[in-house]
Amino acid sequence: MSGHDARPETDAHDSASNETGRAARFAPSRRDLMRTSASAAAAGLVVPAVLGAQSSSALAAPVASAAETLSGEVEIELSINGAKQKLKVEPRTTLLDALRNRANPPLTGSKLVCDRGNCGACSMIVGGKLVYGCLQLAVDARGKDVRTVEGLQQGDELSAVQRAFCEKDASMCGFCTPGFVMAITHCLENHPKADLERIKAACAGNLCRCGTQPHVFEAALSVVQGGAK
Amino acid sequence: MSATPPFPGAGYPDASLLAPAQDPAPKPKRTKKIKATKVVDGIEQEVEIEVEDAGGPEWGARETLKVLDKELQRVDGPVKVSGRAVYTHDVRAPGMAWARLLLAPVAALKIARLDFAACKAVKGYLAHEVLEAEETRWLGQPIAAVAAESSEAAEDCLRAIVFEWEARPAVLDRESALKPDAPQVGRRGNQSKPSVRGEEAKARAAIEAAQFKVSATYTVPVVHHACLETHGAVVDWRGGDAATVHCSTQVTFGFAGDAAKILELKQANVVGVVEHMGGGFGSKFGFGIEGEAAARLSKGLRRPVHLMLTRKDEFRMAGNRSGSHIEASGGMDSAGVLVGFAARAHKHGGLGDGSLSGLPYIYKCAESWSEISGVRTNLDASRAMRAPGHPQASFATESLLDELAYAAGLDLLEVRKANLDDKVWHRQLERVAREVGWFEHANRTRPGSGKDELCVGIGFAISRWGGGGGPACEVEIAIERDGSVTSAVGSQDLGTGVRTYVAAIPAEELGLPLSAVVAKIGSTRLGNANGSGGSVTTASLAPAVKHAAWNARQAFAEVLAPLLGCTSADVVFADGHVQAAAGGRKLSWKQACAALPEAGLRAKGTWQAHLQANGVHGAQAAKVEVDTLTGRVRVLHMACMQDVGLCLNRAATRSQINGGMVQALGYALLEERVVDPALGLQLNPCFEDYKLPHSLEIPKMTVVLDDEDRRAPIGMSEAPIVPGGAAIANAIHNACGARIRSLPCTPDKVLAALGKVS
Repeated sequence: MSGHDARPETDAHDSASNETGRAARFAPSRRDLMRTSASAAAAGLVVPAVLGAQSSSALAAPVASAAETLSGEVEIELSINGAKQKLKVEPRTTLLDALRNRANPPLTGSKLVCDRGNCGACSMIVGGKLVYGCLQLAVDARGKDVRTVEGLQQGDELSAVQRAFCEKDASMCGFCTPGFVMAITHCLENHPKADLERIKAACAGNLCRCGTQPHVFEAALSVVQGGAK
Repeated sequence: MSATPPFPGAGYPDASLLAPAQDPAPKPKRTKKIKATKVVDGIEQEVEIEVEDAGGPEWGARETLKVLDKELQRVDGPVKVSGRAVYTHDVRAPGMAWARLLLAPVAALKIARLDFAACKAVKGYLAHEVLEAEETRWLGQPIAAVAAESSEAAEDCLRAIVFEWEARPAVLDRESALKPDAPQVGRRGNQSKPSVRGEEAKARAAIEAAQFKVSATYTVPVVHHACLETHGAVVDWRGGDAATVHCSTQVTFGFAGDAAKILELKQANVVGVVEHMGGGFGSKFGFGIEGEAAARLSKGLRRPVHLMLTRKDEFRMAGNRSGSHIEASGGMDSAGVLVGFAARAHKHGGLGDGSLSGLPYIYKCAESWSEISGVRTNLDASRAMRAPGHPQASFATESLLDELAYAAGLDLLEVRKANLDDKVWHRQLERVAREVGWFEHANRTRPGSGKDELCVGIGFAISRWGGGGGPACEVEIAIERDGSVTSAVGSQDLGTGVRTYVAAIPAEELGLPLSAVVAKIGSTRLGNANGSGGSVTTASLAPAVKHAAWNARQAFAEVLAPLLGCTSADVVFADGHVQAAAGGRKLSWKQACAALPEAGLRAKGTWQAHLQANGVHGAQAAKVEVDTLTGRVRVLHMACMQDVGLCLNRAATRSQINGGMVQALGYALLEERVVDPALGLQLNPCFEDYKLPHSLEIPKMTVVLDDEDRRAPIGMSEAPIVPGGAAIANAIHNACGARIRSLPCTPDKVLAALGKVS
C-alpha cells in the first residue's frame, strides 16, 4: 500500500473486511451522475434518468424496481435507528442531508465534511453495511435499516465503543468522532476479535485532522480485550 | 533554566493574544506541612510533605493532586461520541434559510456580468447579496451569496447565477511575482520590506572560515488547516431587537459586535455562541466574509440563515499556512558547533506576508544573518496556522544542521546538543532517541547507502513555544444549595480540552470528583475570555479558574467554620467532604452545601501571573522506512517529549501531542496546495487530492511528558507540530542518503534524490 495513496486495498483477512474499509463505502453512487446531468435541477425539478422512465405515484413504498421516476419533493418513509419516520426529500437529496436537514428532530450526529466520500464523517450503517451517508440517496434507503451514531446508546447508556472512546480520549474537536465511532462499531460487530491491523483498515476511510487516530486504535482494542457487545 | 531564549509567538493576527514573555517574579516562600499519598517502593503510603503556603491560590505539590495532572476523561466526551454535541454546522432554527457563496474561480478577474434573474426564478430562492461587483484579486474571493429554502435549492440558485468575467493579469508563484515586469498584486508591490537580522558580511566570513560548509535551498509548500468543520455561521435573527449568532471560531468574544452592526442591533442584545467547534488550528479568527454575508442575508430576510462553507470553498478561501523558499548556508567546526549561518528567505503568503520564525531557529550561532521578506501573489492571504512560521524554519534549520553534521562526520544527536545551551532539550533529545532505538542504530554519523530495498533511518528536530498567558478571563464559580457546582467562562474549546479543565480545577480545589462540577463555556453571556491562538488559552484561563475556585473555597469556608468549630483557614475540603483540620464533625459536600442561603454562593476569579508560566521545549524523533524501489516512505515510529508545566489533564495533553505529530507527518509526506500556474485554479480543493494522514499511515507514537518541569501550567499545543516534518525528512536521508530539500517528501522526490529518476 502506497504511503501516498493509502486507499485501503482488499486486505488479506477475508472478504467481509471489504465492508469495513473505505473501498466499500466508496461504492459508485448515482449522485454524481445526476449532479452533472441535471440542468433541470436549476428549476428545482430533477428527473433522474438513471432511475428509468416509468412514473410511479407510490413514492412511499419500498423500491420495487429501478423503473421509477421521482421528481420534485416526495414523501418517503425511512427506518431510522429502529423507528419509522416519514420525510419529504428530493430525489437527489442524500441520505446524510435527509437526516441532518429534513428529519424531525434533525439527526446532526453524522457530519457533513467533504460531501463526496472522502472523509467518513458521515459513516452510518445501512442495511448492515457501513456506508458514507453523503454518497447514498435518501430514496435508496427506503426499506433498509438506517443506523446512525444517535442510535448506538441504550437510553442514557453509551455503547461499549462509545465508552471506550471516552475512556481513551479518542476525540478532540469531535467533528470526525461520530464517523469513527460508526466505523469501529461496524468493524467490531463483524469482527469481535479484531486486531490492530484490521482496526486500522476499518477506519482507513475516516479522516481526523486533530490526530486522534492513536487513541481511536487504543479505544477499539480495549473493547476487543473487554469483549465487545 | 539557563540562557532562556526568547519564546516567540509571532504571526497571530491579534497581538493582544500573545503573552508577555517573562516569567513571574519569584515570591518569598512560606511553607506548611500537609498529608499526601506517595508511592514508596511500589506501595501507596500516606506521608507528610512540606508545601508552599503563600496564603493565596496555589497549584500545590504535584504529589497532592487528586484531579489535575491525572488521566481525565473529557467532560464533553459523551456528547461527542453520541452525536449530541451541537456544532455551528448542526444548528437548526425555525424557518432557517440555507446560504451558499459564489467564489472567484481564478486568481484575478473583472466581472463582466452578474445577473440574478434566473437565480430568482429558482424554486426556493429567498435572497441574494452581492459581495463584490467589479473585480477580484485572489483565487476564491467571494462574489455573491444566495439564500434559499433548502440546501439543495441554494445550490440550484448558485448555479443559476449568470456570471461572466474576464481574467486579469495575475501572479501565482514566487518566480513570476519577482520579475521586473510582473503584474502588481497590490499597491504595496509584490515584495514586502525585508526584515534583517545580523550582519551578512560577518556571517559569510564565519561560514567561509569554517572547516565544514553547506549551502542549500529549502522549500516548503503552502498547506491548509483543513478543519473538518468548515468556516461559517448561523445568524439567528427573526426580527425584533435581539439575535443569537453561532460561529465556528476560536474567539467567542470576536463576532457578536460585527453581527450586531450588520443587523443594526445593540451588541448587548446579540449573543455569540461557540458551544462546540470542529477545529480551527489558527484559521478561525473573527466573523469572516462568510459570517458577514450570513448576517446581511438574515437582515434582509428577517429569518435565521445558515451559511457554512463547502469543502471546496474552505480550501479556496479559508486559510493556509504560508510556504517558504529559504536559501541557507552554514559553517560548522570539528566539534559540531555552528559557527556561521546566513539565509535569505521568501515567504509565500498570497496577498498576505506569510510567517517565518527567525533563523537558524532555536540553535545558537555566533555569527548569523538572515533576510526575510514576503513575496505576494494573487492567492488568499495565509492565516496563522498552529505555530505560524515555525515548522518552516524548523525544516530549513534542522535539514542544514544534519547536512553539516554529516559533512563533519559527527553524531546527529551530539551536534544538536553542541548547539543548545538549554539542558532541557538535551534530556528531551536523549529520551526520544532512546525511544526510537537511536543508540542501537547504525547510521549515527553518516547516512545509509540506499543499496537495500528497504532502508530504515532516524531523524531529530526540536521545538519551542511561548505559551504564557495574560489577563483576560473572568470566571465565575457557583455552588448551589443542593451541592451542584458550576464553573463558567465564555471561552471556547477547540478540541483542546478547555471545557474539561474548567471543571477539573474547581473540583481539585473543592475536594470533589470531576463529575461534581459542570463547566459552562462558549457564550458571550458568560465571563470574558481571550481567543484561542498561539497556545495562550491555558495560561490565560487556568489561573483565572483557579482563582475563582480558591475564592469560592475561601467564601464557603467562612460559612462552614462555625459549623465545624474551627477557623475558616482550618476548613479542609477533601474527598467530597468538609472537616476541620483537627478532625471532629465531618460533613458530606451535600450536607455542607445545605448550609448555604437559597441563592447559593458565587465567586469570581481573574488571571494571576504566578499561576502560569511561559516557554515550553519539545523534541521529536522519527524512524522511517524508505522503499528505494518505489520511493515510498513509511513512518514507523514517532516519539515526542514535551514539557508543559503542570499538566492539567494528561490524557488530553497526550492527545494534542499525538495530533501535532500526525499533522507534522502530513506536512512531511503528503500535503501541498497545488495551483495551476497558468489559470490559477486550485487543482486539489478536496480530500481525495489534498491528502491528510489517515489510519494506515499512523505510526507507533510515543508521548513522554517531561515531568521534571515543575512550573505552573503553560500552553503547549503549538510546539508538537513544529519538529515532526524536519525529523521525518532527516530520517529519510539518514535511511538511504536521499536528501529532500522540498516538502512534501513524495515518492518521486525520493527516487530523484536517489538518482533513480531525473
